[in-house]
Amino acid sequence: MSFSGYLALYWEFLIQRFKILLEYQVNFLIGVASTFFLQATGLLAIWIVMRQVPLLAGWSFNQILLIYGLVTIASSINQLFADNLWIVGSVYIRTSQFDRFLVRPINPLFHLLADRFNQDGIGNLLIGLLLLIKALVALEIALTPLKLLYLIVAILSGGAIFIGLNLLTAVSAFWVIDSVPVTRAIFETHTFAKYPLSIYGRGITLLMTWLIPYGFTSFYPASYLLGRDVGLLAWGGPLAAVTLLLIGYYAWQFGMRHYSSTGS
Amino acid sequence: MIQALRRDASAYAALAAMTSKRLLAYNIWFWLELFVRTLSITVFVYFWRAVYANTNHISSLSLQQTLNYILFAQVLMPMAQFNLLTYFREIIVEGTIAIELLRPVRFQLANYFQSLAAMATLLFMNIPVALIAWLGFGLQLPASGMVWLCFAISLLLGQIALFFFDWALGCVAFYTHEVWGLGVLRYGIAAFFGGALIPLSFMPPLLQRVAEVLPFRLGMAMPLSVLTGVTPLSQTPRLWLIQLAWILGLGLLSQIVFRVAVRKITVFGG
Repeated sequence: MSFSGYLALYWEFLIQRFKILLEYQVNFLIGVASTFFLQATGLLAIWIVMRQVPLLAGWSFNQILLIYGLVTIASSINQLFADNLWIVGSVYIRTSQFDRFLVRPINPLFHLLADRFNQDGIGNLLIGLLLLIKALVALEIALTPLKLLYLIVAILSGGAIFIGLNLLTAVSAFWVIDSVPVTRAIFETHTFAKYPLSIYGRGITLLMTWLIPYGFTSFYPASYLLGRDVGLLAWGGPLAAVTLLLIGYYAWQFGMRHYSSTGS
Repeated sequence: MIQALRRDASAYAALAAMTSKRLLAYNIWFWLELFVRTLSITVFVYFWRAVYANTNHISSLSLQQTLNYILFAQVLMPMAQFNLLTYFREIIVEGTIAIELLRPVRFQLANYFQSLAAMATLLFMNIPVALIAWLGFGLQLPASGMVWLCFAISLLLGQIALFFFDWALGCVAFYTHEVWGLGVLRYGIAAFFGGALIPLSFMPPLLQRVAEVLPFRLGMAMPLSVLTGVTPLSQTPRLWLIQLAWILGLGLLSQIVFRVAVRKITVFGG
């Protein structure tokens, strides 16, 4: 099937999904509101601390909001479009629902992702955007066409880095069925990327740049936008994203070849 | 009389043991939880070190005092996380509440012992977190046994108070049958206003006042203040009295709310 064919198909899946959402409007609102609330308490804590200490390793409150906003948007893209990677093992493989994907004439990975657009990510996306806009305005960052393009590419790369890492870890489901512990162990390290990497030691900075490159979802693009010199690393995001997606997809195909149905 | 007491005690102990076994059953989740907790400790420690880079005291707390507080708060995190909401929802939606109420034990008391066992088990499971904080991040453990004792009493009192609060809150499930959002909300409020994220003394006056009228600090900030030495030992009896007063009030509230709510019961079958 062609790319536009898949795009049209995704749209069909999305419409079905929204029909379900309209059935459960209250749950949808509760989901968005609670995400909003949890993020707000975390931010409130940072605000309270930075009321008393104006700079954190040379970063102001608004500059930290920029970092926080960027990583929140990137993770919300993952949550919206690839949340099923979390449950591929525990829900799809364990119950043999996954077999359904294998007999259809479309890419099973596409089918898995399109099967559930996760609306709970909308809350995170809104918060991320709010923080980003607030930070850009407060820091008086002029968005030239080049910077705007950079920002869009950085955000999309950030989302792809989250998806790539989750894909890579979700593949373990083909062997251990429940892949949530593996995925969560890697996913949770993105907490480091909510603050400037410069507050950590060298080891964590290297880890977040070269091994689990969440640094490219927030710290490096924020540094570039603020005119801080991080060298070529400012442009590393798209590279990290493409690499991770490729490795993830190969691992996925490798896993598929070793898939045997649980038969339940 | 004594035999009856012994029989009762063994019934409640069996119920409590079940909770512990359930929590300890899944090995991999234990290691995952430990890993995630260690991660967040690492982030917190670096964050606070950066905060204190150019100052010795914030709200009269030194870096070491703040780190002690934050690290112990991570160990005590189950106090903010655990609640009865999902349990109430489960027994109501699945209809097993009918059976639970018929058992020849006192429903609330049986649940109290289960929640005490859950708390003790979760804290026990967090001992490795404390070890990592101690060995890796310079957590200072109080040397005096008296401090530990006073802390334990305060923690127990706080746990009882929060149990009663959650009991009343859990009754919402009788009306709504859906409590997931409320659970998230409760966790967020408990962690923030209980003083798990930042010491309450850092907060602006208005937020401090909000924290004071909520019960969550009874289970987190209060026992922590004893453990970290912010509240001197001579002051702890006063703390216990405050906690006892809350227990009386919340205990009464939980009884009344449950009595009203239980009339609303709809057993779906199941």
